[in-house]
Amino acid sequence: MDSLLTDIRQNYPANRTQRFLADHSLVPTCQTACPLHMEIREYVDLVAQGKIVESLQVIRSGNPFPSICAYVCTHPCEDACRRDQVDKPVAIRALKRFALEFGGDRLIQAEAETSHIEKVAIVGSGPAGLACAYYLRKFGYPVTIFEAHSELGGMLRVGIPQYRLPREVIDTEVQRLTRMGVEIRTNTPVVSLDLLFDIGYKAIFITIGAHQSLRMRIDGEESPGVIDGATFLREINLGLRPSPGERCAVIGGGNVAFDAARTALRLGAREVRILYRRSRVEMPAGPEEVEQALEEGVEIVFLVAPIKIKREKGRLSVTCIRMELGDPDAGGRCQPVPIEGSEFNEEFDTLITAIGQAPQTPGGFGVRLGRGSTIQVEPGTLATNRPGVFAGGDAVTGPATVVEALAAGRLAASRIDDYLQHRYPLVVKETRESLTGDLLPETVEMVRRIGRVEPPILASEERSKDFEPVELVYDWETATNEARRCLRCGTGAEILSQDRCATCLTCLRICPYHVPYLDAGSTVQIPIDQCQACGTCVAECPAKVIVLRKPHDRRRVTEELEHILKTAAGSKLKPLIVGFCCQYGLFGTGTLASLWRGARAGVWIVPVLCVATVEAEHLLRALEIGAEGVFVAGCGDGCARENTASWIRQRVEKVRKILVQIGLQPERLQTFVSGTLSEDPAQGMDNFIEQVGGLYLASVMMQEVKS
Amino acid sequence: MIVAEQKPLDEISRMIASYERVLILGCGTCMTVCDAGGEREVSFLHNALRVAQSKIGNGIHIFWEYTLKRQCDPEFLELIVERVAEVDAVLSLGCGIGVQAVAERFPELPSLPGVNTSFMGMTRETGVWDERCAACGDCRLEDTAGICPITRCIKGILNGPCAGTKNGKCEANKDMDCAWLLVYERLEKLAQLERMRRYYPPRNFRTIPRPRRIISKTSVDPGEEYG
Amino acid sequence: MANSLFEEKLYSNEFLVTTEIGPPKGADISEMVHHIDLLKDKVDAINITDHQSSVMRFPSLGGCLLVKEHGGEPILQMTCRDRNRLALQADLLLAYSRGIVNVLCLTGDSVDAGDHDEAKPVFDLDSVQLLKMIRIMESGTDIAGKELKGAPNFCTGASVHPEADFIEPQLIKFEKKVSAGAQFFQTQGIFDLGSLRRFMQYASQFNVKILAGIIVLASARMARYMNDNVPGIIVAQAIIDELASAGKGKGLQKGIEVAARLIRTIKEENLCHGVHVMAVGNEGIVPDILEAAELVGVPS
Repeated sequence: MDSLLTDIRQNYPANRTQRFLADHSLVPTCQTACPLHMEIREYVDLVAQGKIVESLQVIRSGNPFPSICAYVCTHPCEDACRRDQVDKPVAIRALKRFALEFGGDRLIQAEAETSHIEKVAIVGSGPAGLACAYYLRKFGYPVTIFEAHSELGGMLRVGIPQYRLPREVIDTEVQRLTRMGVEIRTNTPVVSLDLLFDIGYKAIFITIGAHQSLRMRIDGEESPGVIDGATFLREINLGLRPSPGERCAVIGGGNVAFDAARTALRLGAREVRILYRRSRVEMPAGPEEVEQALEEGVEIVFLVAPIKIKREKGRLSVTCIRMELGDPDAGGRCQPVPIEGSEFNEEFDTLITAIGQAPQTPGGFGVRLGRGSTIQVEPGTLATNRPGVFAGGDAVTGPATVVEALAAGRLAASRIDDYLQHRYPLVVKETRESLTGDLLPETVEMVRRIGRVEPPILASEERSKDFEPVELVYDWETATNEARRCLRCGTGAEILSQDRCATCLTCLRICPYHVPYLDAGSTVQIPIDQCQACGTCVAECPAKVIVLRKPHDRRRVTEELEHILKTAAGSKLKPLIVGFCCQYGLFGTGTLASLWRGARAGVWIVPVLCVATVEAEHLLRALEIGAEGVFVAGCGDGCARENTASWIRQRVEKVRKILVQIGLQPERLQTFVSGTLSEDPAQGMDNFIEQVGGLYLASVMMQEVKS
Repeated sequence: MIVAEQKPLDEISRMIASYERVLILGCGTCMTVCDAGGEREVSFLHNALRVAQSKIGNGIHIFWEYTLKRQCDPEFLELIVERVAEVDAVLSLGCGIGVQAVAERFPELPSLPGVNTSFMGMTRETGVWDERCAACGDCRLEDTAGICPITRCIKGILNGPCAGTKNGKCEANKDMDCAWLLVYERLEKLAQLERMRRYYPPRNFRTIPRPRRIISKTSVDPGEEYG
Repeated sequence: MANSLFEEKLYSNEFLVTTEIGPPKGADISEMVHHIDLLKDKVDAINITDHQSSVMRFPSLGGCLLVKEHGGEPILQMTCRDRNRLALQADLLLAYSRGIVNVLCLTGDSVDAGDHDEAKPVFDLDSVQLLKMIRIMESGTDIAGKELKGAPNFCTGASVHPEADFIEPQLIKFEKKVSAGAQFFQTQGIFDLGSLRRFMQYASQFNVKILAGIIVLASARMARYMNDNVPGIIVAQAIIDELASAGKGKGLQKGIEVAARLIRTIKEENLCHGVHVMAVGNEGIVPDILEAAELVGVPS
């Protein structure tokens, strides 16, 4: 009977099976857009399945400090998200935050062993420096961080207000680094690199940030009551409580300007007004921050700039001028032009300037500087003109984002590793192709609209009082539902071998999104940039020649069945019932999640991408390994895809016919589709389990009667 | 395309009962397209037979599966010579032609039909096929507006509809259009109704001396080239 | 020169009355003989059906021989369903040799309709080709062109369906039958005289005789059943309603009334050249109908 248990598919040569299971997926646009190239599609999908711990693993493998990004990332991934063409981008950053909170990120320990003797010094402890330290430690180098301030974090700590990034988050990450064995020297400004080399460091990474605010170069800028944004935020973040007075003006339109304005509000300013010399379209601050600031009561005045400040009677008299937008410059940005004679005066208690920042590199470093006092580096290696000295982060780019700094830190770590190990710094090439191109209108039309749900935030009147974090975290159900909006770009179907394709056109006819087409050469093409990866055609292809490019599903079904065969055979829990269930919704996270694996006597769940991918063959295989009953449960109307249930019903019917011919009761095979059940799905499931139990008992009794 | 249906499982079970090692042989052309014997159906049948075996234990078999691009050309069959040497029977999911091609190539081995070959037809929609050609060997579609009454009229009559038509459907099958009404409507559109008024004499069944053979290469008289 | 009494009457401008008898399923012919005796003198000719509705029965040719033996005038119904051209020609030769010369040429119901639905449908010829074949045989050869030792001579008829829902193709076929040599037509059941009038307005241009088919319905249920299951038959709703209005057990009586009324009107208005009464399975009531239609004794 051995042959019964091992599936003989001898017609598949080994390499074909491998091709069957190889990952041919394309790099999705979100991943391409992410400076860290995080595997966003993968972790979002895991959240959708309710596999939060696994999701966190993926997140952690691609980002040294995801907890920080979860709060403050500017999420270029969301800007690149193709879901935007359907309705709104997937809320990737908020989902990451959810995964971290619910996945137990705080409990994760990072460990590292020293395997090299070359010491590396990191000057500055902003995100780039921390990331570089993290990876160098992982590589096994002794690492020391030198920080001029009393606490680690750079801009994370001194620039970003606490209501956006709680300090515990930074502290946790720093603790992790310490446990990994990173040596930390705070209150230690570095003025000379020679000294570091002298005391034995073999390589240095300069990541001193861009803390020097740019000046407006107008009269009265030095008056008391005028403060630059970076300093203002730094003072607060290091524990001071400067008073902004009653009426406060902030000059600028970037994130620092908004951080300063909202902070001023929290410090008790009655009226906070942002003056920006261009219009809303040109404003570089993130839209969420603008919106939240407006909610909190910050006023924004566009097309206005100060030209003179005079201090009178303890207040600031600010002369402003109105602007209009001129012709776009080379960069496409419209330059503001003053309107003559439009000057007016305003009185403020405080004026905060936030028109930009630049690095301030000590001359003793001996590194070549470029435009805007930034450190010049070779882009691919981050090497400066001095051997062994690397630089990255805002010090090189000018003020940029956290995630860009993290990416720079990671790159620096591997380049320093190359340098220390005398390796040629080869650029690591992505082996997979990147997904490009927009969804076609006809595809967009067929994708079910599901609105984006933002994570909850504190009420505006509540939050402007103190520095509590503004954004809250999703609850479980909202998060999984939001994650299910992901279109799984680039994982779609592919025709593995055109040679075996019978060109039957089944895929072309049944695709819910009308994606496959017949090209001029009469060959069926499934354009990967349009495919929605529902998997219906995979199961329907009569030549079995279509696979999903990331075939985790097919592999998992086979593996799960093998696993059940091995484990359940010895189990006392009878009868054995195998359920193929949508890994999302009902079974992933919903009401039936308790049925998951062994939670119920004899019931085994095989999670699948979508019930439309369950092949008739899988149902038979489940019976063959000894299942007394088999069911398929999908989410019907709740599904992100259309009409998937009808396919599985057809297949179930096909297998039922076979059961009748074999002499088994067709009731052993059931379909449950939520949303179409009049009763509670759990109740329906109970009935089924009871029914199969009855059939099983009857068959056992028959056996005994016979013997 | 040739259209077939897979035989019921119990019929197949009975057919293979006395053979221990069985090769399930699919066909990658028509049988794949009509869902009767492509790789998926081969695999499905394989699974079904194994379930039948494990649940009701009707003999012990070892199955292999293989799907050829076509069974109706002998060269393809060379690809399974080794496998065939190890089996007791071949269960062909090819059409009737495939079954016979296997029988001809492997004369010592039972070649069993896994499908009922039904007709030549076209796809109406996914999973639905309609018969369109009876291979009568004497095509008159030019007279019937491209609609074949020999295939699509249950009586295959040539001179117009019988009186059994009702609601435009056939007397034998209320779901099937009356072919002659379709012919009439199309001829009317084409302004060719005179073709229907013409008398068509009885068919020439001499065009179907079974089995037929078609030779497309031209035979050349060797003498001519020198003459 | 007329071939038969029926053919003679066909051209006599008399109002013709024919009826039909379905042979038994079995070797006991006593009932059929009884019906022949009952009807032979009341009508101009008796059709013997040919495995009507594709239900296997005693053969039409056998029935016609009985009619002949009992002094009646038979019309041989001949369908193409069960015999190829060899068998059809042979049967025609046999019929002619025994004085059976009236032949109603039909394509025949499909095999699926009957009790032998697994049988091979032959349909080597269709009704038009059958008519044509008879004309060829009359000319002295078989249809393969081989000379016949003694040519037959028939009076040929065919059917037409004036109530078909798509009439145009039926008319085309009617004309083809006329061209192929049909001398008379027995129509499918007529339930709506309007359609008969329209048809006759058109058919009167041809030199053929039209006998309107009259089906005797025993109940509304039977009418509905025929609408659903019998090829080509479309019983008008007005007639179904009328049948339904009859009291319990009075359905057949009502059916007789309806049939008689139709016949009377056809005759009075001289709508066509005669009627063909089909009392499906109720051959015994045909005299009652004829009496009710005031047609008794016409052939005398």
